[in-house]
Amino acid sequence: MNARMDRGGVVTQSLAQIGACGLFLLTLLAAVPRSFRYFRETLRQIWFVGAMSLTIVMTCGLFVGMVLGLQLYDVLSIFGGTSATGTVVAIAIYRELGPVVTALLFAGRAGTSITAEIGLMRATDQLDAMEMMAVDPIAYVAAPRFLAGVVALPLLGVVFCAMGVFGGHLVGVTWLGIDNGTFWSNMTATVDVHKDIINGVLLKSIAFGIVVSLIAVYQGYTTPPTSEGVAYATTRTVVASSIAILALDFVLTSFLI
Amino acid sequence: MTQRRSYAVGTGLFIVLGFAALAYLATQTTSVANSRQGDSYTVETHFANVGQLKARAPVKIAGVRVGSVQAIDLVPGKEEAKVTLSIDKAHEDIPDDSVATIFTSGLLGDQYVGIQFGQSKKTLAEGGTIGFTRPAQQLEEMIGKFFGGGSAADRLGGTYKVTGHFTNVGSLQTGAAVKMSGVPIGSVDSVVIQPGHLDAFVTLAIDKNYSQIPDDSAAAVFTSGLIGSQYVAIQPGGSPEYLKDGDEMVLTQSALQLEDLIGKFLVNGSPSDNKNGAGNSGGQPDASSGKK
Repeated sequence: MNARMDRGGVVTQSLAQIGACGLFLLTLLAAVPRSFRYFRETLRQIWFVGAMSLTIVMTCGLFVGMVLGLQLYDVLSIFGGTSATGTVVAIAIYRELGPVVTALLFAGRAGTSITAEIGLMRATDQLDAMEMMAVDPIAYVAAPRFLAGVVALPLLGVVFCAMGVFGGHLVGVTWLGIDNGTFWSNMTATVDVHKDIINGVLLKSIAFGIVVSLIAVYQGYTTPPTSEGVAYATTRTVVASSIAILALDFVLTSFLI
Repeated sequence: MTQRRSYAVGTGLFIVLGFAALAYLATQTTSVANSRQGDSYTVETHFANVGQLKARAPVKIAGVRVGSVQAIDLVPGKEEAKVTLSIDKAHEDIPDDSVATIFTSGLLGDQYVGIQFGQSKKTLAEGGTIGFTRPAQQLEEMIGKFFGGGSAADRLGGTYKVTGHFTNVGSLQTGAAVKMSGVPIGSVDSVVIQPGHLDAFVTLAIDKNYSQIPDDSAAAVFTSGLIGSQYVAIQPGGSPEYLKDGDEMVLTQSALQLEDLIGKFLVNGSPSDNKNGAGNSGGQPDASSGKK
């Protein structure tokens, strides 16, 4: 809260933001054991940020897979290698598109609403009221939403990948006539459980889940208590999350590959 | 309370769905999933070389998929691959003397097993064996055939030598193939310039099996493909006399230089006949016309 008020240069302000965000993460993690008391609340948040995001994630996954199948078939047919379509669709989705696009969608669909909700609580002094009633707002409001995001994003990412592969299969095999067995056998011959599923989908999704949820909760929690402040915080959630996701994706990939 | 319960159920469903999707991805799209299929029977084949054939690759008859490759193992103690094919029950009428071949779909495509029907009245049964197989074509072998296949024609019957003068042999080298109608019949023995001459003197060693080549046949330096190696092609003439050891082939056609060809093309519009007698060594009408 104080960091935001500082009138420094852009660099100083950004550094202060990052620092405050890191400190907030520590506070949040410290509050996680206390938040287990509000397990129901965490479950409700998983429902809200996870299950309610299923529709958009599944639809987008399907279309991403379909367009990948279409484009790859088009390009690979130049080289007579259309049988590799399945492999490339799967690898592209598992390693990059699945985790990244899901995280971007999640930031837009769930991150914004977390920020707006907590921001409004801040603006309407609900958080202060909780503190007066000896309810720790970090443990009751922030931590469950953070945990829900960390749990939900990997699950959404996996569903996205499954829909993407289904979409690629739909276009490649059902419409464009790649042999079904070739499609799957090439995929199973190349895709590796450890490298593509665990390191690709799961690890990246968990990392993105932590980052996106942290940014969303932090932005909401430190919102200036005005309607304008809530609007700015929501925007900042999307911008900061997107940048963080893509930058972190590069860093993670360079470590994992 | 009921509202809370619905959250709990929905959240549970979401988590279950997520893990189900994870299980699906991990088992069905990565590890070679056990090929659970409908009604099928298995047939065993032995190949000298399976190339890039993979488990679950298709098995095709006349290009139609009838099953898949179930397993590829090495026959113990032999340099031979045992390929187990799983074929749909619907296609039970495959003759037992059919031929299994490993084909490649396209130049870079994946390999599959093709079955060509035999004539037998008996059909393959569960656990049967396809005895006749043709192994995967290795690209290296095919390229070898393409480029150097005939260079070493078997000299089982000995050779006889004929000579020819060429105004230009291009990059023809000793050991290059001599072909007639595309079949290798011998090799180039030497390529030299004789003292006092300005043209290349080529000696061809031709297998004695091919002794009935008319003595007015023409020898030409050709290139296999655009970038292939050069060889000497014999174009048979009509004379009743045959070439003998030590004869000289009078009609020769020099190597076509790509530069000359392009030059001709640009200047004349079409390549001209450049057959010339070997005797007029200084004339080189083809070369001069090319440089016009």
